[in-house]
Amino acid sequence: MKVRILRCKTPDSDQYWEAFDYNGTTDISVAGLLEFLNYNDDIINDKGEKTTRIGWECSCLQGVCGACAMVINDVPALACETFIKDLKGEEIVLRPLRKFPVIHDLMVDRSMIQENLKSADIYIGEYKPGKKKEHALQYNAAKCLKCGLCLEVCPNYTNGNTFYGALFANDCYLVATRNAEKAKTIRKVYGEHFGRGCSKALSCMDVCPVNISTLASMAKLNRG
Amino acid sequence: MKRVLIIGSGISGLSCAIRCAGYGIHATLISPYPSERAQSVMAAGGINAVTEECEEGDSVDSHIENTLRGGAYIGGKKAVSGLCGNAEEIIRYLESIGTVFTVGTDGRPYTRAFGGQTHKRTYFCGASTGKQIVSALVMEARRYEGIGLIERRMGLCFHSALIKDGACYGALVFDEKTRTIETVYSDCVVMAVGGQNSLFGKTTGSSLCDGYAAGRLFRQGAVLKNLEFIQYHPTTLETSQKRILISEAVRGEGGRLFYTEDGKRVYFMEDKYGPNGNLMTRDVVSREIYSASKEVFLDISFKDKQFIDSYLPEVRDICRKFRNIDISREPIPVAPSVHFFMGGLAVNLNHETNIRNLYAVGECASMYHGANRLGGNSLLAAIYSGNIAADDISGRESALKNVDFKDMADHANMELKGMLDSDSPFPVMYVRDMLAETMRKHLGIVRTEESLVKGIEDVEYDLSVSDRIKYDGSVSAYTNYSLKGILTLARAVLSCAKFRKESRGAHYRSDYPKESEEFGCATLISFDNGDYSIRSDKEGVYES
Ligand SMILES: Cc1cc2nc3c(=O)[nH]c(=O)nc-3n(C[C@H](O)[C@H](O)[C@H](O)COP(=O)(O)OP(=O)(O)OC[C@H]3O[C@@H](n4cnc5c(N)ncnc54)[C@H](O)[C@@H]3O)c2cc1C
Ligand code: SF4
Ligand code: FES
Repeated sequence: MKVRILRCKTPDSDQYWEAFDYNGTTDISVAGLLEFLNYNDDIINDKGEKTTRIGWECSCLQGVCGACAMVINDVPALACETFIKDLKGEEIVLRPLRKFPVIHDLMVDRSMIQENLKSADIYIGEYKPGKKKEHALQYNAAKCLKCGLCLEVCPNYTNGNTFYGALFANDCYLVATRNAEKAKTIRKVYGEHFGRGCSKALSCMDVCPVNISTLASMAKLNRG
Repeated sequence: MKRVLIIGSGISGLSCAIRCAGYGIHATLISPYPSERAQSVMAAGGINAVTEECEEGDSVDSHIENTLRGGAYIGGKKAVSGLCGNAEEIIRYLESIGTVFTVGTDGRPYTRAFGGQTHKRTYFCGASTGKQIVSALVMEARRYEGIGLIERRMGLCFHSALIKDGACYGALVFDEKTRTIETVYSDCVVMAVGGQNSLFGKTTGSSLCDGYAAGRLFRQGAVLKNLEFIQYHPTTLETSQKRILISEAVRGEGGRLFYTEDGKRVYFMEDKYGPNGNLMTRDVVSREIYSASKEVFLDISFKDKQFIDSYLPEVRDICRKFRNIDISREPIPVAPSVHFFMGGLAVNLNHETNIRNLYAVGECASMYHGANRLGGNSLLAAIYSGNIAADDISGRESALKNVDFKDMADHANMELKGMLDSDSPFPVMYVRDMLAETMRKHLGIVRTEESLVKGIEDVEYDLSVSDRIKYDGSVSAYTNYSLKGILTLARAVLSCAKFRKESRGAHYRSDYPKESEEFGCATLISFDNGDYSIRSDKEGVYES
């Protein structure tokens, strides 16, 4: 099986494709595959040439930290919980998320996610719940990994723009419901940075690794 | 006090930064990645506290006693009393900033049972307690960021501390993007860098916790403590990428351990320790599984599906995703794996190290847990220690006057440049893999003198190789320069395990299977001109 990877040495160098041969088990995640390719002392590509280790980000290896987000056979997903046996096609094609500047190989700079939340001043402040108890939705919204997969698929999100994407809507929902007194002001920034720009493609929900219902967050925030 | 530099943005670093900001102190929080990637988000089962709503008969005293007993009585009583005495306030604080706790029909947070505790006192958020706390703390940090009191800087790694005449004045930090070393001056430095996972290659935790900072500070004169106490969590699940933790919450909710003999289930923990046997402390359960020498399972399938969906959804998902196991129908195959480090930087009651103005909090500091940590106590300790350090810092005078570390920074930059310009025949990852193999082999659940001596020899060899590695261009510059610190720490851990000629808590020596009064206190180790000097803290300097 061929594994084709879109690589890049440094933030300001050009990207290039490099392929590797893999003949091991398919009952392994893409993270496991990357570790396998990187394991030997000498890393050899499919042409038999010596090359450098493949750069990728990981921390938890169990789908709870969002580090390993990348595009796998055209689908944005977490490498550590995407199994090769579930992929279609003869090849595995890995590329870094396209919506963020590349740092090295499959690693990207997602600092804009934090910057946007900071510039909109998104915080709960004090727990003052409203009348409605929506524990399950709030619990799920607070599980957002800030992985950026929802931004990767979103037709409206561009890095550095004023539309902040699904993760922003979900954080707004969390603030508005955990502190009812902030609901009004939060709705305003939500409108500015999400509500007005969202074309309801909702592809964000298909890729979210923790199944956050952005639609439910939107419904609660739009209803006012 | 004006400026604090905090290295690491997990729960302990965030807590310290927020508390400092509350005092009006400016906190700079440095880490390679945002808090969402820190190991803290992996904490599953819960956080302990005895509160006003506690179970009948429970008390703070009993939380203290359980913690001390769980730690085989070498955790300091004063420190543990502070931890447990402040637990209620910490839960209230977490509630007040909007943490999504699991609540009962009355809207009040629920508690569950955890190992080694006489009462149900573990507060939790489903099975993603750490993640939920991180989400709430990040929002709170952002609030202070908005008013300029907290600055969160990412993409930076610790290089070394600026130390002169026994006091710390800041740190050198490395920026992987620009590949340069920056000097950051501050009145105090707080280390919040987590555990020492990388010594063992893979553990249940995050690969970002590598032990480098502790190793480097040790070389710079910081005292380390209780390194031999490494917690093996009894219930982890083998997957193709690592052993994943099956939270103690499963046993807390009634899960039963068993193996099969002659076609019959043997509930070995219950047979030996009675009805609550499954909830013995982790050191005991791990040793029992080890000595059973059979495939052990954890069963919760007798609970109805709705209960599992409500209380253990993350455990259900892990087993399904990584092993295709339906925990509502079948038992989970489990075995022990390295999980937590009771040892680390030695600190006093205020979490200051032996180097003035250098603090350590969270898992990288050794405090409270003695020879074995109780589940649910480390999230509590991460927050409490962050708070205590901030409280102490708030009372300090600013020490930054005419200090200048330009020479040190220039030297570090020159060394880095020399490294980047060279190439080495030794791959760093090869040495890291060899180290992990050594540590797993010689620092297992059961240890012996002979094996530990062999382990020390192996690491000594790795250290000698590390001197010959100039630069391995196939991995990051940080991975290169961190190697020596990691190896040094490993050497120190093995030495401490050899020094403690007894069995206590997580440290079991088959050649000294009994507890010995002589070793009834902490182990301290320092680096004196290349020598690893070890002693027992008989005077209780670090824990009282
Ligand atoms: C799977 C799992 C489940 C757990 N469940 C529980 C539980 O239910 N209850 C409980 O009480 N405890 C639990 N624990 C333990 C608990 O999660 C940790 O002890 C605690 O979260 C540690 O927090 P911390 O802030 O000290 O460190 P971490 O969260 O590990 O944060 C360390 C920070 O330091 C940074 N860092 C590391 N090295 C450097 C460097 N060289 N330079 C700059 N930054 C650096 C990291 O990037 C990170 O930001 C669990 C642990 C694991 C692994
Ligand atoms: S909403 Fe989902 S996809 Fe988007 S950042 Fe959060 S976890 Fe990732
Ligand atoms: S490594 Fe944490 S989500 Fe994949």
